[in-house]
Amino acid sequence: MKSIKINPIVIILINVIAPTMYIFMSGKYLQIYLFTFAAALFVLMGRFKRLAGYLIVYGVMMGIYYITLNIKGIQFIGLFIIVIIQSVPCIALASILISKYNSAQLLSALETMRVPRVLVVAVTITLKYIPTFRREFSYITESMRLRGIGFTWKKPIKSFQYFIIPQLFRCAALAEEVTAAGLVKGIDAPMRRTSYYEEKATFADVAVFALFLTGLAGGFVWKLM
Amino acid sequence: METNVIKADDLCFCYDQSSEGINDINFAIDKGEIVLLTGNSGSGKSTLLKCLNGLIPSVTEGEIKGMLSIEGEKYSDLKMHQLNQLIGSVFQNPRSQFFTDNTTAELVFPMENYGYTIDEMKKRLESLKRAFGLDGLIDRNIFTLSSGERQLIALASAVTMKQKVLLFDEPSANLDYGNAMKLGRILKRLKENGYTVIVADHRFYYLSNTIDKVLFMENGLLKVCNSEDEFKKGNYNTRSFDIFSIDIPFPINDTSGKNVARIEEVYYKDILKGINLTLRKGEITVLIGNNGAGKTTLAKTLCQSIKPDKGKVDINGLPFFIMQDPDYQLFGTSVQNELELVKNDQGAIDNVLSYLGLSKYRYKHPFDLSGGQKQRLQIAMAMLCDRELIIFDEPTSGLDVYSMLSVSEQVKKLREKAGVLVISHDYEFIRHVANRIIYLNNGVIEKDFILDRTTLSELNNIFIKMQEEE
Repeated sequence: MKSIKINPIVIILINVIAPTMYIFMSGKYLQIYLFTFAAALFVLMGRFKRLAGYLIVYGVMMGIYYITLNIKGIQFIGLFIIVIIQSVPCIALASILISKYNSAQLLSALETMRVPRVLVVAVTITLKYIPTFRREFSYITESMRLRGIGFTWKKPIKSFQYFIIPQLFRCAALAEEVTAAGLVKGIDAPMRRTSYYEEKATFADVAVFALFLTGLAGGFVWKLM
Repeated sequence: METNVIKADDLCFCYDQSSEGINDINFAIDKGEIVLLTGNSGSGKSTLLKCLNGLIPSVTEGEIKGMLSIEGEKYSDLKMHQLNQLIGSVFQNPRSQFFTDNTTAELVFPMENYGYTIDEMKKRLESLKRAFGLDGLIDRNIFTLSSGERQLIALASAVTMKQKVLLFDEPSANLDYGNAMKLGRILKRLKENGYTVIVADHRFYYLSNTIDKVLFMENGLLKVCNSEDEFKKGNYNTRSFDIFSIDIPFPINDTSGKNVARIEEVYYKDILKGINLTLRKGEITVLIGNNGAGKTTLAKTLCQSIKPDKGKVDINGLPFFIMQDPDYQLFGTSVQNELELVKNDQGAIDNVLSYLGLSKYRYKHPFDLSGGQKQRLQIAMAMLCDRELIIFDEPTSGLDVYSMLSVSEQVKKLREKAGVLVISHDYEFIRHVANRIIYLNNGVIEKDFILDRTTLSELNNIFIKMQEEE
């Protein structure tokens, strides 16, 4: 099956709408619906590895929930997990954004949505920081291993401090460098930004979005019945 | 008609939160010149560069006086986005000079900001591809490129708006010898095509015989040399132009030290192909080779970060690895605490602190130190540790002559207690410290020899060969 391409705008909208819906409708329906929807989207976009990871995380968390719920004394773990689990489909949807599109694509998608430039730049830099964070994190853990400063559960706070502090300082330095990189490339230019990756809305975009909304509407109907 | 591309009249800049700055800067740069901006750390070189690329005053705050103009227009009348259509910047740091992670996205990024149509972008992209030979580099992940390729993308993206003035910030810091020489040739070609190029760097061997003007900064003041010869005759203490002509006594070689690490017939993927190597205490071994030759991978097998597919790595404990970027390696809450994490022996800590001139920073947070001080702290850690092997990864990239010389002394001191392995491209530094040279090419040790008067030509030949390979 050929994987489809979806306009990042659709994914962004879905990402904004999905979590807010928890305010308005039944958690259980929404949870099942979002779970299925995210899984289906992975399949459509041909992200099978990610789908497998997603299913495993979800499955393991559900497993813990059911097991702990039936054991007296540690039920709180299950209740805690069930709260966390709600966010898994949303995180999965957000991960598509970060992995599938480069920052130029995200930037132009947000621009088309008429979001103010300042916000667009901030959001893009934040999203792009995640892969950088991952890379830097691996350097730091490697360096801790070589220094003989391991992460131990005996001293979790101390250990946590070891890798969070260098990371914070890196953030500050990186923020300045990235700002400079953007500025010298004309990110402050007042003209309307164009996009090399600009794509017209396709049938797939409309279909996916319509499907998403129908599913949500279904939730309201279900609640009324 | 004004012929100067850039002109400074009594330019002064003073930082908001410190007394440092630059004063009475006067110079004029003509069209098509290659200008070297140099000076030792803290001389004001970066400050002047930031004035030129507009980051002062738009990002860095402080008081600016005097006049700076580009193509007859005053900097103070130009907005950042107007200035950046005239001047292109190539930063030093590969990590953050790119705004995106895809080469095509990076190249079109400025054009998108300036509102080009898709057709215009495609046309410009084609012409950039031709001008810089980017055929194999389109639509690639920037982090998978080699340092030379990355430099090329950075350069191409700096001229997407047809800027005719280019600023480079320490381009040689992240390039190996071959790629630095190649950059020198590219700059020459840019000059022939009418570009004006300003290069700020500590090392400038790759610009030999191409420089039209030198701006030499010292203590916030500028000296202008109107030719390369005038600069050479000035006898400023800087890095060398002609690196092969430097004359330094060879260190005494002592092969009686005990073995500290042994690698036997090691294979790893396509990167290492049958490496055999023994490292001894008291020896400073320098590992050379172009990027991608397998130097870092070899160091990683010694650190046991990767397990070879075949062969044996025999080493007693972990080596002490000094990374190029100290920020990843500092975890303590103060300089004192950082060293206690290595070895809690106050007497020894006092000794290394005073030897490295760090005593007065004892209670400072490691991240409050300057780049050079952080590196000295790393060396202090290496001096304290009980490891038998100490590995340095490019310890001198971006260092001026004084810092390079003091790092050399410290590295030589370390060999009294351990075996030292240094990965380096820095010929001058190598000549100061090396006892033994290992040349890695395509995952194979091509040369392994003791460096002395008789084998010096061999080292020089390797450098010449590395230049031709790129």
